[in-house]
Amino acid sequence: MASSNWEKWRLPADPSPADLARAAAGERQAFRMIVERYQHMVYSVAYNVLGNHADAEDAAQDAFLRCYRSLPQYRSEASFSTWLFRLALTAAIDAQRRERRRPEPVDVPEVAGEAAALAPGIDAATIARALADLPEDYRTPTVLRDVYGLPYHEIAELTGRPLGTVKVMVHRGRAALRLRLRAEREA
Amino acid sequence: MDCSGVRALMNRYIDGELGYLETAEFQRHLAFCPDCSLEFRELSALRGTLAAWGDVPLAPPAGFANRVMTAVATEPLPGSPRPLADVVSDVLEWLDQSLGRVRLPGGRTMPVKNLLGWAIALVAVVIGFGRRRGQDQAKTRVSRAAGAARR
Repeated sequence: MASSNWEKWRLPADPSPADLARAAAGERQAFRMIVERYQHMVYSVAYNVLGNHADAEDAAQDAFLRCYRSLPQYRSEASFSTWLFRLALTAAIDAQRRERRRPEPVDVPEVAGEAAALAPGIDAATIARALADLPEDYRTPTVLRDVYGLPYHEIAELTGRPLGTVKVMVHRGRAALRLRLRAEREA
Repeated sequence: MDCSGVRALMNRYIDGELGYLETAEFQRHLAFCPDCSLEFRELSALRGTLAAWGDVPLAPPAGFANRVMTAVATEPLPGSPRPLADVVSDVLEWLDQSLGRVRLPGGRTMPVKNLLGWAIALVAVVIGFGRRRGQDQAKTRVSRAAGAARR
């Protein structure tokens, strides 16, 4: 069943209402605390959608600027992490819609802290490269669906593509990744 | 259900989109077909790997937080009206994204927004010239009429 993985992004504890109010009032130190606490989450989302460091950094910065501007509109019905996660996704997808300014990279991101083994014979660098090498049309829907667990209809809404197209892109992305990871394991 | 039928349904099964009967047929086939069973196991494992990848925090480049804060320092206070230039820039970006790009000879592309801008500018110039010409002609007619009246 479609289930969202967004809950796991609640891991960094939400800032206290007082800290959020200070940041929303323009207190820079309070906002810096938010940036430092959530930079890995926001950057990871941007990197996974865009597949390269340069675009990911721009999109992550854009996400934090959007967060800063719209802090007064944040309502605590959703957790702050979930709200910021969506801002990061939107910023990354908007960046992808714009013409790409950088060549496709082959660089692999640095994992913050210790990464658990992802699967037998598959490390973080392998999966990062396999995702980054996917055609862009396949990567974004596949990342949104299988990395972040978004339902298909939300992916269609976010990417502005028909539902059927999104499903086909995810199926093709999975097929390409399955063959790639099989080849990596056999190598 | 044969192998091609099962493979066509594999993603829908994984996404929980199959009905009761299709699910039963799908599972029955997997129980005796080693090829489809292997493909299914790989696909299921892939989903687990991707979900686990979502838990891996990636480190932004060094100094990222400082760069964000430098950019924040140029921002107006949260919630205050945005500068007109930023609003115009957002509208232009929205137009860029909504209208897309047109392919030019030589494989280059250009935003449709730019083409529209030039078309509007051209129309404005043509209309401007037309009006000026009309005004000039009117002035000529008036001065001729005045000359004729003096004669």
